[in-house]
Amino acid sequence: MGKRTGRVCLAIGYLGASAALGLAFLWVPSVPNDAFESPEAQRLFYWHVPSAWMAMIAFGVLFVGSALWFMRRSALGWRLHVAGSEAGLATGLMAVWSGCLWGAAEWGVPWDWTDVRLNSFALLTLLALVLVLGRRAQPDGVESRDTFATAGLFGFVLVPFTYIATRIWQIRHPGPVIASGDGGGSLAPEMGALLGFAALSFTVLIVGHLMESVHLTSLEQRLDRLQGKLDAEVTE
Amino acid sequence: MNGMTALALGYLGMLVALGVWTWTVMSRARDIERRLASTEAALGLNDGNVDPVADDER
Repeated sequence: MGKRTGRVCLAIGYLGASAALGLAFLWVPSVPNDAFESPEAQRLFYWHVPSAWMAMIAFGVLFVGSALWFMRRSALGWRLHVAGSEAGLATGLMAVWSGCLWGAAEWGVPWDWTDVRLNSFALLTLLALVLVLGRRAQPDGVESRDTFATAGLFGFVLVPFTYIATRIWQIRHPGPVIASGDGGGSLAPEMGALLGFAALSFTVLIVGHLMESVHLTSLEQRLDRLQGKLDAEVTE
Repeated sequence: MNGMTALALGYLGMLVALGVWTWTVMSRARDIERRLASTEAALGLNDGNVDPVADDER
């Protein structure tokens, strides 16, 4: 395991994600014209849903990493926190951006400030942005790590909240189309197969990103350590 | 611009953004690996996986 596995996952995940997006554009059938205001825009589904799925994985890693740092002062926990927040920001922005494009085509507006799902997911992405920018603005130390880990722990409450939001308040964002709990999904077989392939590819991609980011943080820490030794030698 | 053209541009933008993100992470890692290897070789050091903040807390 290690950097090689991470890079292989990145390469396979990127190729798979590219293939999934190509198939979504060229192969998968469209929906009936009377089902959507903008039928072609539903092809964003194969990018929007896997992006949101990746974001949930990233925020899960952020939570685990924050808990490990906070409770055990684990070096791996901190690396997972860093990886989870960076991946959460990137994937959260992908989901928000694709959602805005779809919303503009389908609803006529890119955003709805009254929709609970949209706004809770945006808050999650904002939390990741605060963690990433805050970490770069502060010197690395126990106090700053505790602060960011606490934000990561409490912010995770938004993940299950976001998940159940459309089950409780269905305002603009549609309810679940798979795992809806009513005994069956509403997806055509080709659409379901492609969504599964896209979700798998994006999962491999995010796992690769998380592994590579953990490796990168470890390297940065080694460099910091070396810098500290050099500084100590110079001042002696 | 019709809907399919806008969609195609959106998809291409997404693939480019994913590629740039992936490439940035990999090139950052490669750059630090090179700097670390040369510095450690010059100083005769190899600390392995360390985290100074976590180590200080133990």
